[in-house]
Amino acid sequence: MTRKHVLDGVKVLDFSHFVAGPHCTRLMAEAGAEVIKVEAQIGDAARHLPVIKDGRSGYFIQHNRGKKNLCLDLRTKEGQEICHELIKTVDVVIENFTPGVMKKFNMDWEAVSKVNPDVIMCSISCLGQEGPLSKLPGFDYIGQAYSGILGMTGEADGYPALSGMAFGDISTGAHAYGAIVTALYHKAMGGGGQFLDIALLDCLFSYHEMNVQVYDASGGAQVPQRSGHQHAFVAPLGLYKCKEDYLIIVAIGAQWNNLIKLLGKEEWADDPRFADPLVRNENREEISAEIERWLSTVDNVTEAVRILVQENHVPAAPVLSVPEVMSHPHMQQRGIVQTVKDPAFGEVKIPATPLRYSQFPDRLELQAPFLGEHNEEILRDRLGYSAEKISALQTSGVLNAKDI
Amino acid sequence: MVPNTMFEGVKVIDFSHYIAGPHCTKMLAEHGAEVIKIEPLTGDPVRQLPMHKDGRSACYVQHNLGKKTMSLDITRPEAQKICHDLIRDADVVVENFSPGVMKRHNMDWQTLKTINPDLVMCSISCFGQDGPLSSLPGYDFIGQSYAGIIDMNGEPDRSPVFADLSFGDVSSGTHAYAAIVSALFHRFRGGKGQHLDLCLQEILFSYHDINVQLYHASGGAYTPKRSGASHDLAAPAGIFKCGERYLFVLALGAQWDKLAKTMGREDMLSDPRFIDLTARGANKAAVNQAVQNWLDSIGDPDQALKILQDERIPSAPVLSVPEVMEHPHTQARNMVRTVNDPVWGALKIPRTPLRFSAFPEIPEQTAGFLGEYNHEILSETLGYSAENIAALETEGVINAKRV
Repeated sequence: MTRKHVLDGVKVLDFSHFVAGPHCTRLMAEAGAEVIKVEAQIGDAARHLPVIKDGRSGYFIQHNRGKKNLCLDLRTKEGQEICHELIKTVDVVIENFTPGVMKKFNMDWEAVSKVNPDVIMCSISCLGQEGPLSKLPGFDYIGQAYSGILGMTGEADGYPALSGMAFGDISTGAHAYGAIVTALYHKAMGGGGQFLDIALLDCLFSYHEMNVQVYDASGGAQVPQRSGHQHAFVAPLGLYKCKEDYLIIVAIGAQWNNLIKLLGKEEWADDPRFADPLVRNENREEISAEIERWLSTVDNVTEAVRILVQENHVPAAPVLSVPEVMSHPHMQQRGIVQTVKDPAFGEVKIPATPLRYSQFPDRLELQAPFLGEHNEEILRDRLGYSAEKISALQTSGVLNAKDI
Repeated sequence: MVPNTMFEGVKVIDFSHYIAGPHCTKMLAEHGAEVIKIEPLTGDPVRQLPMHKDGRSACYVQHNLGKKTMSLDITRPEAQKICHDLIRDADVVVENFSPGVMKRHNMDWQTLKTINPDLVMCSISCFGQDGPLSSLPGYDFIGQSYAGIIDMNGEPDRSPVFADLSFGDVSSGTHAYAAIVSALFHRFRGGKGQHLDLCLQEILFSYHDINVQLYHASGGAYTPKRSGASHDLAAPAGIFKCGERYLFVLALGAQWDKLAKTMGREDMLSDPRFIDLTARGANKAAVNQAVQNWLDSIGDPDQALKILQDERIPSAPVLSVPEVMEHPHTQARNMVRTVNDPVWGALKIPRTPLRFSAFPEIPEQTAGFLGEYNHEILSETLGYSAENIAALETEGVINAKRV
């Protein structure tokens, strides 16, 4: 059988909103799954995030392409019945409400697994389904604060700094996607349905590739703390200034020798103060001063990176702005910036999916739905509702639709 | 038959080193795959990273749990033959060399797919397998620079900063894991093997939930820029100081009404400067000052946090890593995992964030010493004789060391 992509034929019912959940189901839709996004009457809050053009959100488009849309009142018995009937027909249910909300709608795992024991249900939350913090309102930076990520970002003597992108949400969406395909594979191999509890907090905490272990293994002697533009534990690894621009240099392995040669500091090779990356870190001010002294003799950051990388094999990179990334020849050649055509918005540029499959080199043409766009189609074709029944649901306000 | 683990019977040959690739294969191992990690004679360079005890790197342990280790000189034909023999019977190959290195060792996709057409091969690199930057040396922060991530971190008028953790590597490992499992699922349903080309730069670029679209859809009128402790577009959405502690506070929509009342600033609710999200964003200095003044009047961060959280206004203390590790919530969810290493003894690492109701427990696992499984795999899996193995040792094709 020819499939259009790796998840072709997989059916998903998606109750998620904002970013973390929608990013997960976006990845699924991009991999060919059939996603029905269920939105409450007022619609996903992401429909109100900028840029807005004629009521249509570019933000919503980015995170919701390729999904069909059903807009109904989840608080009503009729709305819940429709969802239960749909749950019987799908492989995966996804939601990212605050823990407890799905239970109020009669769609917690206990209820869902009764309706369809083979279903995979993935609950995405900020702080997890249980534990003392689980009921707090959760947003990306709340999870970042509680996972020790914010505490590790920024100058040592100043405020922690926010990262200017949805680090936690996108990450959690990708982890949820990974967990769901794992459960689908397991089910295909003879396992049953199951419940997945994916928390932003857990995902972010797993990014500490060193901090947790270093603190524990040093018996508390090494306390991870933010160090701004330099790495906390190893040197030279950090940001340096070249004229008005910044570049990053990573010279922790064999590249250290290349770097000191370039700096004319060959004598450091035998200096115990620079014996390994950890000791070098204790003397990093001296290293930084030499690097920036050399940088002051170079014309510009592009030239500095060229000399470091091409001539001396020292890993380095210019710090690019988002517009610079978008117009960079490498990104152009690999098609990392994707232009999608929205019926209301026109062209929108978004980051392309980073998952590349040799069997499916082309991206699927996908569009983001209007609110309630597929109400009729889903109720009629999937659930066999009559035209009268559908129009009664419209009249009683269980269903809603709007061109936004 | 119901499988005993998620990936029962899935065989992985892992050529990866440092963090991105090993994080991916660690996740596969944690969910039941059999992973054979092939290291060079000198070992994965991550073995040089701290902390060390008797030559054993705790950083290596964290990222290589549950893998069997072989140490081979893959520049030698004998070693390449061993790899080809193992790959013939494997489901997945993972590597994160610079593009071109696998080809030099006769293990690029073109070669491997002739040996095993059902294979799923995942190449993880900093910039991808093609394109003008692809041959550059790649590290996490290099990819972050080229993805426009680092430029977005820090105070607007100062040097950018980076988050001191492996944002790009762990991300890439997770995405690679997800792509591999997707490809395995596809193969199980009748699809063929395939090659996956994942790269750090592109994965990181996908974290721009708003910047790319905002810059383009605003016709360049809005240029994304770093904004330090406060969000660039919304307020209040940022980090405030209360006593000696930093607190994150966010109040959008109805939360803003509650916050204004909590602060005793009902007057702000009818003020046109603060009337909606856009207006508050445009007057963020005044909004943030009002929040800071209120926090100053409370003085005690625990008390302030309790007031905010009781009102369900999104807020959190900025915790240090040790504080996270000791927090009651973290403890209740077993987020910190303790593994037992033969050299280190008990060692704490982050638990995998994937939680499955069918498999609530993570298996007990250790990380292999360098070349620990050379003999077992060569003799039991590939049927090499003792003489044959001894010869490989003498010639320096294989290596082993208790590190």
